[in-house]
Amino acid sequence: MKPHRSTGLFRSLLANCFHCYHHRYSPPLVKRTGHMMELSIFRHNYLLKRVKPTMPFNDWPRSYHQDFRVLWKHEAVEKYLETLNKEYQRIGQLLNGGSMNEHDRSTLSRRHAHLSTLAATFQEIQEAEREIQEIDSMCAKLDSRDEKQLLELALEEKEIINQKINTHCKKLFQSIVPRDKHDESDVILEVTAGRTTGGDICQQFTKEMFEMYQNYAYYKCWTFEILNYTTAEIGGLHHAAAHISGDSVYKYLKYEGGTHRVQRIPETGLSSRMQRIHTGTMSVVVLPQPEEVDVKVHPKDLRIDTFRAKGAGGQHVNTTDSAVRIVHIPTGLTVECQQERSQQLNKEIALRTLRTKLYQQIIERDFIQTQNARKLQIGTRAQSERIRTYNFTQDRVTDHRLSYDVRNIKDFLCGEGALDELINRLLETAEMEALIEHLENFKSLEGGG
Amino acid sequence: MRLLTSPLRRMLSGLLNCCEREGGRPSKCCSLNPHHLLPRQNFSAKPTAAELVRYWHGVFEANRIPEAQESSEYIISYVLGAKTIHSLSASSLSNPLTSEQQQQVQWLSMKRLQRMPVQYVLGEWDFRELTLKMRPPVFIPRPETEDLVSLVLQKSQRSGSPAVNAGHRCPTAIPHPVILEIGCGSGAIALSLLNKLPQSRVIAVDKEEAAVNLTCENAQRLQLQDRIRILHYDACSGSWEQLLPWGPVDTIVSNPPYVFHEDMAHLAEEILSYEDLDALDGGNDGMRVIKKILALAPFILKDLGVFLEVDPRHPEMVENWLQSHPELSLSISATHKDFCGKPRFLHIQKHKAGDSSNKKDFACPSVHLP
Repeated sequence: MKPHRSTGLFRSLLANCFHCYHHRYSPPLVKRTGHMMELSIFRHNYLLKRVKPTMPFNDWPRSYHQDFRVLWKHEAVEKYLETLNKEYQRIGQLLNGGSMNEHDRSTLSRRHAHLSTLAATFQEIQEAEREIQEIDSMCAKLDSRDEKQLLELALEEKEIINQKINTHCKKLFQSIVPRDKHDESDVILEVTAGRTTGGDICQQFTKEMFEMYQNYAYYKCWTFEILNYTTAEIGGLHHAAAHISGDSVYKYLKYEGGTHRVQRIPETGLSSRMQRIHTGTMSVVVLPQPEEVDVKVHPKDLRIDTFRAKGAGGQHVNTTDSAVRIVHIPTGLTVECQQERSQQLNKEIALRTLRTKLYQQIIERDFIQTQNARKLQIGTRAQSERIRTYNFTQDRVTDHRLSYDVRNIKDFLCGEGALDELINRLLETAEMEALIEHLENFKSLEGGG
Repeated sequence: MRLLTSPLRRMLSGLLNCCEREGGRPSKCCSLNPHHLLPRQNFSAKPTAAELVRYWHGVFEANRIPEAQESSEYIISYVLGAKTIHSLSASSLSNPLTSEQQQQVQWLSMKRLQRMPVQYVLGEWDFRELTLKMRPPVFIPRPETEDLVSLVLQKSQRSGSPAVNAGHRCPTAIPHPVILEIGCGSGAIALSLLNKLPQSRVIAVDKEEAAVNLTCENAQRLQLQDRIRILHYDACSGSWEQLLPWGPVDTIVSNPPYVFHEDMAHLAEEILSYEDLDALDGGNDGMRVIKKILALAPFILKDLGVFLEVDPRHPEMVENWLQSHPELSLSISATHKDFCGKPRFLHIQKHKAGDSSNKKDFACPSVHLP
């Protein structure tokens, strides 16, 4: 029971901070006495329920960096940072001191290096705060002397230092949370039309979505290589896949995975009875591309299917059928490619795609094992929840994870600024949640003892 | 001819005349099955790529053209500037074609209706990562041969060419491998090797002038002409000294004609009507040219050996023949299968110095530079 309670406790305290901030309690410092009352109420509420912040995310202030400052002031955070600082000093002593084996020494050195940046930032923040205190006391004196100009300068200076503190806090917290190791990877993006009772709404929507991601890749200066493009009999796109490479592709696209829903009235001329709103879905899967060494594929495990001529083959036959299908026998995974005229190239592309899918299976296994209370799940194949709805009749895109609306669907589907902004919001929210989770884990470790 | 209105018939006969000039044997061209062209009522005024693919697929099928779907897709992709239908974007597939494009599709499809292989219809085809010009009657590379190149690359890289760090595995490093290809055709094997082994040089020979010219053209298009020597040479009658502009060669590669003569008549009309039959016919046992290549090997070859593509029945036959010609000091060191699991590639090397079966020592002749 104890860890669970502390989870709720921390979240509620944090939520309180933002709540207070939003309602502009003048001193940025949390008033502890005032909050104790509300604390017990929150504590009760959060005991058994899954945790949620008190306000929907879209009510948060636009500039998220303000929140880090508030976080900084929080008691639990202070404690956590103090612990890290102590660890840093302890490791420093150990390293300077006596003997230890090579392996331990290198592990500790790495940890020391990591903590040193934290410690440095920590110190910078503390110094900056001292400066602010000095300015504050100076301002108090100035008031009495009525020197307006100096006062203005002092306030400006204070503002600058505040900004500096915010940036440092953000840097500090970002370095606490371990990065997703796949963030820098290239990806394979797959789109698949959902099933529908009639019409081609899913397939048309899938086509538009694939083009949106193609434009987004261009907007971000990534390369977009189509691996597979299978149209549907009734028009539109049935499924397609592309290899996207560039800087930090996975970091930006990872939250696009999941089911996207569309609501629109079909454009083609139908009787008024048919002109009701149709709903369709399509799914997006984003797979980080592994390094060659990460996935071992043995040739013996593969069955490679190609065009087979009757008889001797070779010079006896002239064929233009260069499609390749590879089946990974142990897992049953099948990949096809007929993107190129050369069979060799099709085989290479198919193998690369197979590696990526095998890697994804490995990752998914890991994800299921780690307990994850985050609201923002990365869309793995297991994710069948609707993450976003595109409502054409109301000209609105809603991301259900942020409860956030964007207007002007046409602009959004261009895959440029509007999509980029939504993705950045998702990233910031995810960072915040990752941070909270990290601190909660720490708290429960401490508190549970 | 059924189902043709007279304007179409006039166009068709006009095209037939043009086809004869392009290549292929006139007698085969004229003895064609009547062409069935489907009525075009189901066309919109401006057909899209998808509609045209369906239409021509239907026409090819009705005229029993093999690989009807693929033929139709490749022709239309080509006209739209893409390699395959699957690499075209959604918008390209649903855009209507201009009338020039439609005419071009028509023109190309008519050639296909003459059973001209798609590679000749388009005038180009891909081999591994290269796009090569194709022209009748020069032999069209087969997909199996892509694996022959992989095999040669594997073995030459392992022997320490600077392209790959293999160093310690073989005592002798080959800084600038010299490769001889016999029967280069369009230049597929030679140019792929040059492309992947930047330090290598290739001597490519063919007994047909058309092949020599086409290889030359492809080499220049790929900017590889500096490292290749292309010779008009018949392995069956020429003298091996001509093959030594750069001294003895490190390896010989070939996809020689290996079809058994009795099987020639059963080949598809595409092959018989348009490709050079001498590039296919290997004589009664399919080994006429293979034997010639192996016979000249001891005079010009260093250590990497000979790589051959052959008929699945040949490995045993070649082994027996080599054993009955001990003076050549050659034996099969490995047989590799193709992607259909058939024995397809032979790696033949000189016997090692300590072999008891080899008494005579045929050293390479001294080098005279021209």
